[in-house]
Amino acid sequence: MGIAETIAEDSPGKRVLLMGNEAIARGAIEAGIGVAASYPGTPASEIMEALALAAPRLGFHAEWSTNEKVAFEVAAGAAITGIRALTSMKNAGLNWVMDMFMTLVYGGVRGGFVVAVADDPDAHYSSNEQDTRFAAFYGEIPCLEPADQQEAKDMTRYAFELSEQLKLPVMVRSATRLSHASGDVELGKIQKLDRKPAFDKHYELAYRWNVYGPPGPVEKHRWLHSRMPLAKRAVEKLPWNKLELKGKPKLGIIAPGLGASYARDAVRRLGLEGKVAFLKVGTPTPLPERMVGRLLKAVKTVFVVEEGDPLVEFQVKALAKDLNPRVKIAGKLTGELPPVGEINSDIVANALAKLAGIRRRRDRAREFIKAEVGELVSPRSSTLCAGCQHLGSYWALKQALRKLGGRVPIVNGDIGCYEQGGYGIFAKAIKPSFSTESVRYPIESPYEALDTNYIMGGGVGLMQGEFHAGYRDGAIVAVAGDSTFFHACIPAVINAVCNLAKGVFLVMDNSWTAMTGHQPNPATGITATGERVRALRIEDVAKACGVDFIRTADPFDLGATQAAIEEALKHEGFAVVVARRVCTLQAQREKKFVGKKMVVSPEKCTSCRLCVSFGCPAITYKDNKGGIDFLLCNGCGMCAQVCPTGALSVVE
Amino acid sequence: MTELNLIIAGVGGQGSVLASHLVAMAAIRDGLRARVGETFGAAMRGGAVASHVRIGEDAPTPLVPEGGAEIVLALEPLEGLRNAVKYLAGGGILLTNTRAWTPVDVNTGRAEYPSMETIRGAVEKLGGRVIAIDATSLAQQAGNVRTMNVVMLGALAGVDKLPTSPESLKRVIRENVPKGTEEVNLRAFELGFSAVREK
Ligand SMILES: Cc1ncc(C[n+]2csc(CCOP(=O)(O)OP(=O)(O)O)c2C)c(N)n1
Repeated sequence: MGIAETIAEDSPGKRVLLMGNEAIARGAIEAGIGVAASYPGTPASEIMEALALAAPRLGFHAEWSTNEKVAFEVAAGAAITGIRALTSMKNAGLNWVMDMFMTLVYGGVRGGFVVAVADDPDAHYSSNEQDTRFAAFYGEIPCLEPADQQEAKDMTRYAFELSEQLKLPVMVRSATRLSHASGDVELGKIQKLDRKPAFDKHYELAYRWNVYGPPGPVEKHRWLHSRMPLAKRAVEKLPWNKLELKGKPKLGIIAPGLGASYARDAVRRLGLEGKVAFLKVGTPTPLPERMVGRLLKAVKTVFVVEEGDPLVEFQVKALAKDLNPRVKIAGKLTGELPPVGEINSDIVANALAKLAGIRRRRDRAREFIKAEVGELVSPRSSTLCAGCQHLGSYWALKQALRKLGGRVPIVNGDIGCYEQGGYGIFAKAIKPSFSTESVRYPIESPYEALDTNYIMGGGVGLMQGEFHAGYRDGAIVAVAGDSTFFHACIPAVINAVCNLAKGVFLVMDNSWTAMTGHQPNPATGITATGERVRALRIEDVAKACGVDFIRTADPFDLGATQAAIEEALKHEGFAVVVARRVCTLQAQREKKFVGKKMVVSPEKCTSCRLCVSFGCPAITYKDNKGGIDFLLCNGCGMCAQVCPTGALSVVE
Repeated sequence: MTELNLIIAGVGGQGSVLASHLVAMAAIRDGLRARVGETFGAAMRGGAVASHVRIGEDAPTPLVPEGGAEIVLALEPLEGLRNAVKYLAGGGILLTNTRAWTPVDVNTGRAEYPSMETIRGAVEKLGGRVIAIDATSLAQQAGNVRTMNVVMLGALAGVDKLPTSPESLKRVIRENVPKGTEEVNLRAFELGFSAVREK
């Protein structure tokens, strides 16, 4: 019985193993959700993947939207009509949503609206470590922060009720170690809400859904403020906010979400059970202030343990000023916990031991052995897949730039599998340079093609600024994938056309949102629930945006792709090259990949190592000869085009 | 024994995540609590992957503390060593497949792959021991090389440290592997189980 059955199964009381993201999805299902919309992003994607599995069976709408902003609006629209709705995203996704987020709260919602966000402390899968709980604080809405999978489910379910009680969106904040971890969860009943969507433009507030409608935004802001006392009262009664305070302990812990799990583990490992006060927090904003107050007045030191930035710590400090200014507050602001990266029970236990005055002995002999043995562990650098079509695109791009790119070309990168092309995977320690002139660096390793890379859609905008600044020391290029193109690049493409930028925009179209686990996007021709739809072609969109130079090539054909890019580099305006071939991994899964038979002839190898610089993980290099690891090789045939002597070749 | 900290390590595409879920499901079925902390993200093949399985009456955090794993189950030897160095407890066992999945770093001559003897010596220095079986060949013998992860689960049941019974594990395997592959998978399980019992 797979997740498809479990997620939609109405068997209250049954205990099952659910991933944090699946638990969030299950919570929404138990709450009787009507509309779910999301855009993929690790570590949040499985929320929507699980919902999409259940949607056809339970009869609600689930979609992968074009980007997070659209997803948020789709869900908000449903909530305005009184239907329960959820949108989910990764940390960075919320940045795309902020305009609507900060304004929707002025009138709130009618049906329960839950915004589930998965943060990524330690940036395992992200370009930053941002703590999105601050957005809930900023937008003056409640944030629920689960500590384990059971809470993830139960809190999400409750979040819909709270949302309807306050008439505001409610955030559920997860993090990598919760979203991408599994735990046992007791299922609850699936509610069947037979709600009819309704629309009333003056529902309980005049011009409720039009922020400008009289009496205007300031009065609606006042209404938003009127919600907070209600929220504060509600959170004091929640089972997930719990104060354990017995006797007269010196030390108290305040810990929201995963922090509470780590702190609980640390307390147990140090034998401090019953000896410290413990406030487990389920709502980092608004805090259960009365409970915090009782703790602040009872102890000498409070240790705040939270995953992310010190949101709770700031608030506790502010409360302490009035309630007990002499209490010491320890946490990330005071250096007891590291201000960056993620925490874990080892880190928390060490900090807690210090605060509790417990000496923990270091086993130096073992540390020495570990360091010595650690030297034997070879790295396993992350690469593109064997036979990945992006390898061909990058090879073609690098060859074309070598010929026509000038002295110091700039390749602006973007986010997706292809960002693996971004940094020399083997080049670990680079010395910074302090030059004021453009500097050319030899590309020594296969994955070193990208010079800038920040966020989705960022590259094609940056390239225009570089051009308008007058940069002429080399060609200016941007790359992006198909999902990224639809998500974030279209306004920038229009901008390039309408403001006369020059540059080459290489779109690496593999028809899927591959990096996040192969979700469909507008180029795929399929919906989240598997219905066939029209697949949009990037060339058509670019043409409609006014681009007049557009070429398409198959990245498995290195020569043709290189020729298309060279032509684009010579073009006098903004040029789009679409390198199109379906993701190799996905084609194999769908049994549509036809590999060629490859043969290695070592006697023809001249040890030039060009094959190695191509970067396919199936390429081997031993005893000064290039070769193929046939366990990994898919028979794409690209290496045979790279090898100048026929040592690697395709059997015709 | 009702508590266990276990790490299942391998390379993306080998099935370590499914294996860890199967162990946790079996524990839940036997009335225990279970948590699995996972490290995976990009869909790309070939990256290092490790799942932290924590079984017990109370399994509070998703990751095993450093030096806290009683068993590291490795679908690939290098990944076994990588995780053993960090997580294996004194007296713990590295139970590993012998078949290497060579990283590009080694393929392209930038690093060396440690031999089985080196791995064994290293783990012994750390105060642990190594049990190694050729799980890939056993999976082929069972009828499908992709059942290698289940061969290793059989081996895990064979070392007799799981708080769940081999029967529960077999039941969840039957229920959770793709339809039509139940028999191959159970054969794979038995082959792994006996391979360890014979050691
Ligand atoms: C705002 C935002 N949303 C989501 C993500 C997660 N994410 C990383 S790469 C990517 C898109 C990958 O798709 P595509 O551009 O088609 O490239 P591919 O991986 O298929 O090569 C996404 C959605 C993100 N990094 N930022």
